[in-house]
Amino acid sequence: MIVLVIRVRSEASTITSDEHELQIMKNFDYLEPKTVAEACALLKQHGGEAKVFAGGAHLTILMKQGLLEPKTLVNIKKIPELKGIRFDADEGLTVGALVTHRELETSALVHEKFPVLCEAEREVANIRVRNMGTVGGNLASGEPLTDLAQIFIALDGKVKISGPNGQRTMAVEELFLDFYTTSLAEDEILTQVVLPPQPPRSGIDYIRFSSSSVVDKPAAGVAVRVSLNADATVGTARIVLGCVGATPVRARKAESLLTGKKITPELAQEAGTIAAQECTPTSDLRGSELYKRAIVKTLVRRAALKAHERALQN
Amino acid sequence: MKKLISLIINGNERSVEVEARTTLLDLVREQFGLTGAKLGCDIQVCGACTLLVDDKPVSACSMLALDADGCAIETVEGLSSKDKLHPLQEAFMEFGALQCGYCTSGFILTAKALLAECPQPTETQIRDYLAGNFCRCGCYQEIVQAVRNLASGVRSKE
Repeated sequence: MIVLVIRVRSEASTITSDEHELQIMKNFDYLEPKTVAEACALLKQHGGEAKVFAGGAHLTILMKQGLLEPKTLVNIKKIPELKGIRFDADEGLTVGALVTHRELETSALVHEKFPVLCEAEREVANIRVRNMGTVGGNLASGEPLTDLAQIFIALDGKVKISGPNGQRTMAVEELFLDFYTTSLAEDEILTQVVLPPQPPRSGIDYIRFSSSSVVDKPAAGVAVRVSLNADATVGTARIVLGCVGATPVRARKAESLLTGKKITPELAQEAGTIAAQECTPTSDLRGSELYKRAIVKTLVRRAALKAHERALQN
Repeated sequence: MKKLISLIINGNERSVEVEARTTLLDLVREQFGLTGAKLGCDIQVCGACTLLVDDKPVSACSMLALDADGCAIETVEGLSSKDKLHPLQEAFMEFGALQCGYCTSGFILTAKALLAECPQPTETQIRDYLAGNFCRCGCYQEIVQAVRNLASGVRSKE
C-alpha cells in the first residue's frame, strides 16, 4: 500500500527557494504517439519505466512529490480514437478514456442517458481538475478517493483495454486490485468505458459526502442501482461503496437483502446497516472508521430510496 | 530533454524551448515574466495558479508546459489594455474583492471563464464555479458580489 502524504502549504508566501526545489520533478522523456497501437508498443519497449500521461491531473502531483519518477511519459492526449462519447442502442454509452470530467458533466448525450453522471461530476474536485482530469486517468490511477468508479460498477460498466497483444474487456469492478493498483499491465492502456443500456424500471442514485470543504475528496461515496421486476420487487440491486477501502467495493450482503423484495424505508435502513459492515474504512483526516461507517449506513439508505423512486418512474 | 513548443500567450505567438518537467506556471512566470499567477498549494486545490488554456481554467502548477504546446494561454496580464482595466478588474476594485491579492488573478480568470460560458449566472452558479478558488483573506462575499454585479450589468446593457 502506498501512503500518500499530501503536503498543503498554508503559507505560500513563505516558501523558500530550497523548499521550491523539492517540488520540481525529475526530468523525463516525453513521447507523443498518434495511435493506441503505437502507444502500447512504446510502453512495452520502455518496460515499467514509462507511464501513460493523459490529463496529468493525478500524475504530475505524484511526480512533483517524488512518489513517482518515470523515465518516460507517453502522452496519449493526441490519439483521436480515445476521444468522444457516443451511444448505441445495443452497446450502450461509450466514453473515451480522454473524455474529461467536465465533458462528461456537460454532455447533452450523457445528461439524456445517464444523468446521474452529470450530477456526480458537478461535485468532483473543482473546475480546473474537471477540465484537466480524464475519465480514463481517473480509473487507471486506482485512486480510491474518487467518484466515478462506484457509479460505473453500479451500472455494470465495463472497460476496454488495449495492449501489445490486442484488446480485452473487463468489468469495471475487476479493474481495481488495491490502493493505486489496477489490473492494467505496464504496457496496456484503458481505452473506453462502456455502460450497457439499463433494464426497464431501473433507477440509480449516487451520493458523495465530504466531511470538510465541498471541494475536498469524498469521505465516502455510495452508488445504489435497482432494477425492478414487473411486480415492483427488486430484480437486480447494486450497492457500491467508495472511498471506504482500498478499492470500491460492492456490498453484496446488502444487495442480497434487497433482491426479491419491495423497497421500504425499513428495508433500506436495514441494507444500510448491513452495508456499513461490508467496507474497510480507515481513520484519517476525513473522519474516523466509526464515523465513516455511520455515513455509509445513511448514504445507502438514502440512495436506495432515491434509486427506488427513480426506478418506479422509469 | 528539451523540446521546442509554440503557444499563444495573451494573443502573442511565442516559441520556446522547455525541459519536459517544466510546468506551465514556471514557464509563464520564469520565462515570460508574467507573475500574476502564483504558486500556492501546488496540488490543484487552491486556484492561485489558475490560467486559461484554450479558454478553460486549469491549475498551471500541475500542467506540463509541453502539454500546452499549440494552445492559447491567457494570464491576468492579458486582460487590461494600456490604461483600461478589464470590467472584471474594475468590478473587483469597486467591491473591494481583494485584500492581499494573492488569489485575485486566479479568481478573475475563473470568473472570466464562467461569464464566457454563462453570461448571466445565478448566484449558485457563481458560487459553484468559483468554489475551487481559495481566498485566505476571506473576501468571498465581495468576490461573488463583484461577479454578480458585472453579470447583471451585462444583462442590463443587452
